[in-house]
Amino acid sequence: MTDTRYLALGDVVSDELFPDLDLALRRGRHVDREDNLWYTFLVDAQALLEAFYRRFGCELMHPADGYFYLLPTGDKLGRRHLSVPEMLVGQALTLLYLDPATLQSGGVIKRADALSHLAAVMGSDALTRAFNPKRKRVDERVAEETVRGKFAEALRRLAALGFVDLLDSDSLRLRPGLLRFAEPVRGRGSPAEALERLVARGELVLGEGGGDDDDDEQRDEPDELEPAEPAPEPFQLPSEVLSEFADFGEYVSPPEAAEPETAEPETAKPEAAEEET
Amino acid sequence: MTAPAKDPKLVLAALARSQPALELGTLDLCFLSALHLQAEGAALSAFNEEKLSEVFEQVCALLEPRADYVKRRATHAIQRLRDQKLLARVDGAGVLRAGEFALTRLAAGIVESYLEDESLTRENLTQLTRSLRVSLAEILTRAGEAQAEADWKNGVEAPLRVSVSDLVSGIERRQRSLDLEQQAFQAQIAKLLESDWFGAVDQCLELLESTSRTLTELNEILLRDAHELSSLLQDIQEITVSAQQEAAEAAVERVMEQVDRIRAWGAARQRAWSEYYQYVHRYLCDVVRLDPSRALIQRLREQLSQHTARPFALSVAAAGSPRLLREIEPFKDDKPKVSRPRAERERPPSDNDAVDQHAIVEELVQGALSRGPSGLCEVTQQVSAETPGELQFVTAGRVAQVVARLARTTIDRDRPWVSVHDGLVIEEWKIAKGAARD
Repeated sequence: MTDTRYLALGDVVSDELFPDLDLALRRGRHVDREDNLWYTFLVDAQALLEAFYRRFGCELMHPADGYFYLLPTGDKLGRRHLSVPEMLVGQALTLLYLDPATLQSGGVIKRADALSHLAAVMGSDALTRAFNPKRKRVDERVAEETVRGKFAEALRRLAALGFVDLLDSDSLRLRPGLLRFAEPVRGRGSPAEALERLVARGELVLGEGGGDDDDDEQRDEPDELEPAEPAPEPFQLPSEVLSEFADFGEYVSPPEAAEPETAEPETAKPEAAEEET
Repeated sequence: MTAPAKDPKLVLAALARSQPALELGTLDLCFLSALHLQAEGAALSAFNEEKLSEVFEQVCALLEPRADYVKRRATHAIQRLRDQKLLARVDGAGVLRAGEFALTRLAAGIVESYLEDESLTRENLTQLTRSLRVSLAEILTRAGEAQAEADWKNGVEAPLRVSVSDLVSGIERRQRSLDLEQQAFQAQIAKLLESDWFGAVDQCLELLESTSRTLTELNEILLRDAHELSSLLQDIQEITVSAQQEAAEAAVERVMEQVDRIRAWGAARQRAWSEYYQYVHRYLCDVVRLDPSRALIQRLREQLSQHTARPFALSVAAAGSPRLLREIEPFKDDKPKVSRPRAERERPPSDNDAVDQHAIVEELVQGALSRGPSGLCEVTQQVSAETPGELQFVTAGRVAQVVARLARTTIDRDRPWVSVHDGLVIEEWKIAKGAARD
C-alpha cells in the first residue's frame, strides 16, 4: 500500500506500517530517509497524518533537511525535554555531522571521537562540571567515570529518538535528525531571536531540560514527563467545615497544673488529647 | 585425491613455531623494488652479489646521498633480506663461487602491492572474463574426451589450478586496487570540501557520478559473465563427478568459490557505494548548499561552548507505553501439604503400678550368671526370652551394663559380633567362670 497515494485516513491507518510508526513517533522518534519504508509512508500520507495528529494536540513536523518528528503543542500527548547530557552530546554529534571529515566514513564515527570532540569544544573542566552538576568536590577519576557513563547513556537515548544509530560497542552512524540541534543557529538572525521563535513554536524550552538522574533505576523512564491530561481541580471542603479548623496549627499553651478541687482526670484527658490533635 | 582442508589452528600453530617476522624500512623496500624493476626491465632471473651491491648503491645514492660505508650497508641489507626470506640464493654452488640471488615470492608480492596500481576497469575486466571463458570452454572439451589419468591431470586439473585460478586471482587483485581507489576518492571528497567548501560541490558530484558509473558497469559485467563462467564450471564439475576424478573436482570447486567471491564483491561494493553516494548527496544538498558561507559550524560550536551559560532543551514527544494488565492465573496447589498426624502429646495417667525395668533386668541377669554362662550372648538370650518384644533392644543394652558390673568379662582382639536372635546382633564378651564380682 505504501506505493500508492492514500485517499482517506482509513487507508493510512489500515496500512500495516502504521501501528509501529505511530508508536515510534509518539515516543519521540525522528524518522528520516534511512528509515526507507517509514519515510516513504510518511511522505505519501503526510497531509492526512498532519490533520490526524493535530487532533491529538501535536504537529507532524517535516523540516527541509528530510526527516519527520512529532512535536506536542498541547497537553494531550506527553512530552519531555532533553536532559543536559543529551543536549550537549547531541550538539557535539551535530558538529561532527557537519564536519566534512566525517564524509569520508559515510557518517560513521567512533564513540571515543565524539566524546573527545565534545571535550575539545567545551573544555574538559566545563564538561566534567556539566555532567556532575550536583557534586561540588569530586575525585577526578570518579568525575571522569561519571562523564563517560552519562555520555553513553545520552547516546543510548539519542539513538532511541532516531538521532544516531548505535552500530556496535565502538561506532555509531549520524543521522539527519541531528540538524534539529542546529536550529537555533541557522538562519541569519541572532541566536536569541531564533531561540524565542523556537520556544514560541514549542520546539524547545529555555533552561535545563529533563532531570539528570543519578539514580540508574529511573533512567529507563522518560525525564520530566508532563501530564498528558490537565490535573483535576483540587478537592475543597465546604467553608463551614473548614471554619471549625480555623485555629489549626496555632500555638496552644500547655495545660496548667490542675487545681485539686477542679481536677477531673477522667474528663480532662480527652480534652487535652483534642488540643494536641 | 582431494587435498584435505587445512585446519586454521594447526596452520597458525606451525606459523607461530617458525616465528616469522618482517621488518622493512623505506630503504629496504626501495631496494627490493629496484631489484624487481631491474629484473623486469633487463629480463634477469637472478642477480650476482656484485649486481646486488650496485643496485643498493644506486638506491642509496637516490635516497640518502650523504650516507657513508655504502658497501658495508649493502652487505647488511642483503643479509637482512635473506634472513627474512625475501632474497634467496638460487645457484646452489655453496662456497665454490659467489652466489646468485633472486627475489622470493614473498618479496615479489610485497613489491607488487606497492608498485601495481592497476585497478579493475571495464576494459581489463572484459578481457579477463573473455580469457576465462575461452580457457574454461577448452577445459570442458578436454574433460569430455579425457580417458587416462594423465589426461585428467594435464588437461583439466593443472589448467584449472594454474591458468584459470591465476586469471580469477587477477580479477580479485584488481578489485582490491579499486577498493583502495574508492577509499582515496572518499578522502579526496572530504579534502575538497575542507579546502573549498561551496566551490567544491561540482567536483564532488563529478567524482561521485564517475565512480558510481564505473561500479555499475563493472557490476553488470560481473553479473553477466560470472553467470556464464559458473555454468561452464558446473558442466566441468558434472563430468569430473561422473568420472570420479576427485582432484579435478576439488580444483573446479576452488575456482567456483573464487567466481562466487568476485560476483559477491560487485554487489557488495555497489551497495556500499550507493549508501555513501546518498549520504554525500544529502550532505551536499542539506549542509553545503544551505550554508554556503560555512558559518553554521562556527555558530554551532559557539552555541555548544556556551550551552551551560545559556541552556535550552529540545522538546520531544514522550507518550508512555500502554500498560497491559495481564491475567492472573489462580495458584494451583497440586503438591501435598507437609503435615503430620494430630495426636495428643500428653498421655493420660494410668492406674498401673510403676515397674522398675532396671531392677527386673538386674534380677534376670543375676539369675543367668548364676547358671554359669560362657558369654554375653547367652545371658542376653536368657533375659530376652522373658522380655516383651518391643523392649528387646533396650533390654540388650541394660543387660550388657549389668553384666559388666556384676561379672568379669573379656573381649577378643577381633571383637566378634554374634546374633542373639533374628533382628538383634551384639558384640560378644566372654564371661570368666565363677568370676562374679561382689
